[in-house]
Amino acid sequence: MDLVPLTTPSREKLRLAFTVNGEPRDLVVESYKTLLEVLREDLGLTGTKHGCELGECGACAVILDGELVLSCLVAAVECPGRSATTVEGLRQGPELHPLQQCFADHGAAQCGYCTPGMLVAAKWLLDRNPRATRGEIAEALSGQICRCTGYLQIFDAVEAAGRTLRGEPAPAPLLPSVHRGSTNGR
Amino acid sequence: MIPSSFDYHAPATLAEAVALLGKYPEDAKVLSGGQSLLPLLKLRLGQAGHLIDIGKIPGLEYIKEEGGMLRIGGRTRESALERSEIVQKRYPILVDTAKVIADPIVRNLATVGGNLAHGDPGNDHPATMLALGAQVVAMGKSGERVIPIDKFFLGLFRTALQPDEILTEIRIPAPVEGSGGAYVKLERKVGDYATAASAAYVVIGTQGFVERAGIGLTNLGPTPIKATAAEKYLIGKKPETAALAEAARIAAQATEPSADRRGAVEYKREMARVLTGRALKKAVERAGGK
Amino acid sequence: MTTRNVGQPFVRRDGRAKVTGEARYSYEVAVPDAVYGVLVTSGIAKGRIVEIDTSAAEREAGVLAVISHKNALRLPGEPHLEGPDRVVQALQDDRIRYSNQPIAVAVADTFERAVHAAMLVRVNAEVAAHTVRVEDELHNAFPHKIMAGGKLQEPDESHGDVAAGLVAGAARVEEAYETPFETHNPLEPHATVASWSGDRLTVYDASQWVFAVKKKLAKGFGIPPENVRVVTKFVGGAFGCKGSAWSHVVIAALAAKQVARPVKLALSRHQMFGPVGGRPRTRQKVAVAAQRDGKLTAIRHETVSPTSRFDVFVEASALQARHLYASPNIESRHRIVRLDIGTPTFMRAPGESSGSFALESAMDELAHRLEMDPLALRLASYAEKDPADGKPFSSKSLRACYQEGARRFGWEKRPRTPRSQTRSGQFVGMGMATAMYPANFAPAQALARMLPDGSAQVESGTIDLGTGAYTVFAQIAADELGLPFEKVRFDLGDSDMPEAPIAAGSMTAASVGSAVLVASRALRDRLIRTAIVDSASPLHGLAPIEIRAEDGRLVATSGKSDSYVELIRRAGGKPIEERGKTAPGDEREKFSMHGFGAHFAEVLVDPDLGTVHVSRMVGVFATGRILNARTARSQFLGGMVWGIGMALHEHSVFDEKLGRIMTRDLSDYHVAVNADVGSIEPLFLEEEDAHVDPAGVKGAGELGLCGAAAAIANAVFNATGKRIRELPITPDKLL
Repeated sequence: MDLVPLTTPSREKLRLAFTVNGEPRDLVVESYKTLLEVLREDLGLTGTKHGCELGECGACAVILDGELVLSCLVAAVECPGRSATTVEGLRQGPELHPLQQCFADHGAAQCGYCTPGMLVAAKWLLDRNPRATRGEIAEALSGQICRCTGYLQIFDAVEAAGRTLRGEPAPAPLLPSVHRGSTNGR
Repeated sequence: MIPSSFDYHAPATLAEAVALLGKYPEDAKVLSGGQSLLPLLKLRLGQAGHLIDIGKIPGLEYIKEEGGMLRIGGRTRESALERSEIVQKRYPILVDTAKVIADPIVRNLATVGGNLAHGDPGNDHPATMLALGAQVVAMGKSGERVIPIDKFFLGLFRTALQPDEILTEIRIPAPVEGSGGAYVKLERKVGDYATAASAAYVVIGTQGFVERAGIGLTNLGPTPIKATAAEKYLIGKKPETAALAEAARIAAQATEPSADRRGAVEYKREMARVLTGRALKKAVERAGGK
Repeated sequence: MTTRNVGQPFVRRDGRAKVTGEARYSYEVAVPDAVYGVLVTSGIAKGRIVEIDTSAAEREAGVLAVISHKNALRLPGEPHLEGPDRVVQALQDDRIRYSNQPIAVAVADTFERAVHAAMLVRVNAEVAAHTVRVEDELHNAFPHKIMAGGKLQEPDESHGDVAAGLVAGAARVEEAYETPFETHNPLEPHATVASWSGDRLTVYDASQWVFAVKKKLAKGFGIPPENVRVVTKFVGGAFGCKGSAWSHVVIAALAAKQVARPVKLALSRHQMFGPVGGRPRTRQKVAVAAQRDGKLTAIRHETVSPTSRFDVFVEASALQARHLYASPNIESRHRIVRLDIGTPTFMRAPGESSGSFALESAMDELAHRLEMDPLALRLASYAEKDPADGKPFSSKSLRACYQEGARRFGWEKRPRTPRSQTRSGQFVGMGMATAMYPANFAPAQALARMLPDGSAQVESGTIDLGTGAYTVFAQIAADELGLPFEKVRFDLGDSDMPEAPIAAGSMTAASVGSAVLVASRALRDRLIRTAIVDSASPLHGLAPIEIRAEDGRLVATSGKSDSYVELIRRAGGKPIEERGKTAPGDEREKFSMHGFGAHFAEVLVDPDLGTVHVSRMVGVFATGRILNARTARSQFLGGMVWGIGMALHEHSVFDEKLGRIMTRDLSDYHVAVNADVGSIEPLFLEEEDAHVDPAGVKGAGELGLCGAAAAIANAVFNATGKRIRELPITPDKLL
């Protein structure tokens, strides 16, 4: 961005008492911080990723008071008294959440940088709509960018996790057919 | 981060919010959903010394039919609109519109009022509201006033709202027998502003003639466009292919697009024609005309 | 060798860390006392800094320093290496060479304060005339040797008489094609954390090659390479842009030295357009001619691409024309021009992806002109040996890829003429293209260590870009050591480990995989030798040839056995390790080595809106051995989706007047999103290639993209009758 000088900013800091992954947190933050920066820097919860800062990539998605939001577009000052769930809060103890397990099993996490946002979005979707169809999954994740996988493994993983959560047998991860090729090309 | 600090205000009542806006007329911004405001502040395309968060004011989020109108609270989330049963059943054009605004996550915070009050010709609700003949309710220090939507958009990022006014409600005439509307958008990818988009609303009388028509266009000029000549043309016509095509052609003439990365002027005008044709066709279908 | 692990579709080892949010990417590594650096970049494309006023920034609370050319430490050495490295701008002079060039760095105790300070820096620059248009510099175009596949290649090559061949054909196509500037845009922005302790430097960097970062920083700061340690455990996507240490890496280290504190420096999304290079634009000309039966009488492929004023990168788009189709007359030519831009760089399938768009589009045009099936045309000029030099291919199953792909896709249903088939109001079109990418291989080293508990630890300083390195190398080692997969841990991403080549060019599996194989084999042999000289071992006195490794034991043909645990316990209880290294050998001179494949694409085109949807893609690839079908599938799927992005969306648009990229964020730089993805099916024809490298693999990262955009463009032609020769295929071009 072009550099525009501005007048000295030293507005008061604000107290932010809210709940993160079920734990009460009480801290003092500057008014210019977004929820994303509070999570990553002040609370050390670096699972939530920083990809574009402008709400274009979806890597920073978290659940705030039951609603899926982009934490880079939520000012920290809006958050007192609210409750946030990040990727770190999906797991209960050592057991992975079925979504986490399915993402790992289906290769839905490749470089892994979009993964936390995708997982949180998928969790929000399945919480609201446990029978989400593939079309609904794609629609719900349509604002999130993955540059590695080609997306299909992510849909597969969310579908499989949905089945697991509903107590239905989940399909095995899709594997490509590997044929024996000839070596001479004839 | 937001590269400048600001004073944050979370008024508990509308009156308090209006008073704060009056106190800082040059330097305050209303924080509704924040999905357009935060990027602007981050990019320093806008500055705010005072952020007035209207999120703590009760009673600004609702969708209800009352007095022959659909009333939408100014702070109603796009996602709420999209999921509303009454909207899904009776106002499919609003579902069309809400569903193509940004992406689903943004829609969880973005608000209908914000989409209108921002005055961005690229936003989607303005065209739909123009087609539907909506009204906007604004609350200021001198009280409440109702602004017809066709008097609301004054220029690029400029609306009829006074600096101390807050958009509190949108009113849409309830559907009548034989009415139907649709919104059709061309976007480069999910989440993009429209390359072009068109909203159409028709009321078809019992004799099968168009009694009322509304056409609104998105991102095809410095303000959202109401294609009045095309609307007039349709009145009294049978909503058949040739008439709809002609109306679409007339509507496209009302556009003043500028060339940008979404395309050249002529291309956008052509898209306006195609999309208006499609929106009208769908509106007529929904009106039971086909 | 038993192959119980190699070939198994094991789940990615790093998956758990990634799904829990525990995986720490470079910027997230906790370094005590770290402060934050934020770059100030140039708003103009060319000129000289007359004055840079940092006083307002320096007065801000928490600001430790604002470093520009005026006060930056003078680097004792030039931070530049031979090979695929880029010349950087590390605040050493007042010259502005391209828009968005780093010109200062603000360092503060918090990230926000550093951003704020960076915004307060005022620059007064003397503006010079710039050009960012290739057209303006064509008269100065010049040839330059090409660094590709680990070796220097000639820009021009010719055999036969192309001019005569072009006239001799029954049909001929001579057309110009263009591909745009593109930007990698991995989801994780570049980031570097630099920390000094005396004259020792530790760097956590988002990198594809820790050894180059290490050597480059050592050279720049005039310290021995062993004083620099570079660590990269997780990378949030790279695709080539993290293959070089760009300016910010050197600046982070410089700032850390100057403020005597560790410095964390991440690029903003918009700083990834310019300070970090992308794929350069190409202007290509292809001429192909063929006889009635489809036999090519000539191929000519010429390309011009831009580089910066101060460094060289050649987008080698015409290289594949040398090797792909049989023809008596083939000519290829590369030219570059210098522009006032940041240096472009290799981006996924450099050369082959942009070049295949031109060549494979031209082949489609030729087939149309000959009224021939495009697949039949390719089969008519199938190269049984490399047309460039007559060498045999180490393996080539392209014919089978065509056949299997055509069958799976239903190629016989392809509309014979454009605009002849519609589905729900949209034109249907089908297209195909060939994929080819060289089987690269570079020297690599690895270490294998047997631990007293009978598990193995194997390491090499390579990088896992999400490709599966953590997983597949453990599979290779497990087989060599006769261990179950779970008993082998593979670690990577540290320059203190044995040296690995750049994790790029689809050569990691081949190169590092072979080194892991050699190291593991050496360790196994050493363990065998240890056993046979150990009088307490049941294997004492046996010949090595009688002994194999199996289930954590050394087992003799007689049935006698000794476990690793026992063996090591008796040998003193210390881990036993061996190193292994591999390097390209003679086989590379005897054979032509490439991976091949065939893409088939179906598109739906809205006749009135011009929107293109890729409804189906089938890609069949033959790329040697498949180490792990799950991770390989991801590589190819991702590559094919990149093909959709390249065909329909990706474009770094320059504002020619301002000399800078306008599309500097993800709302304007479009990559393929999930709505773009229909049904995509990659499949493999596995090959046994005894020549290519010890691991028998030919690489997976690039091949899926090669030819993909052309297959889509050819399908668009089949749908609409419109030939788009300039990517991306946006709706306005189809109306």
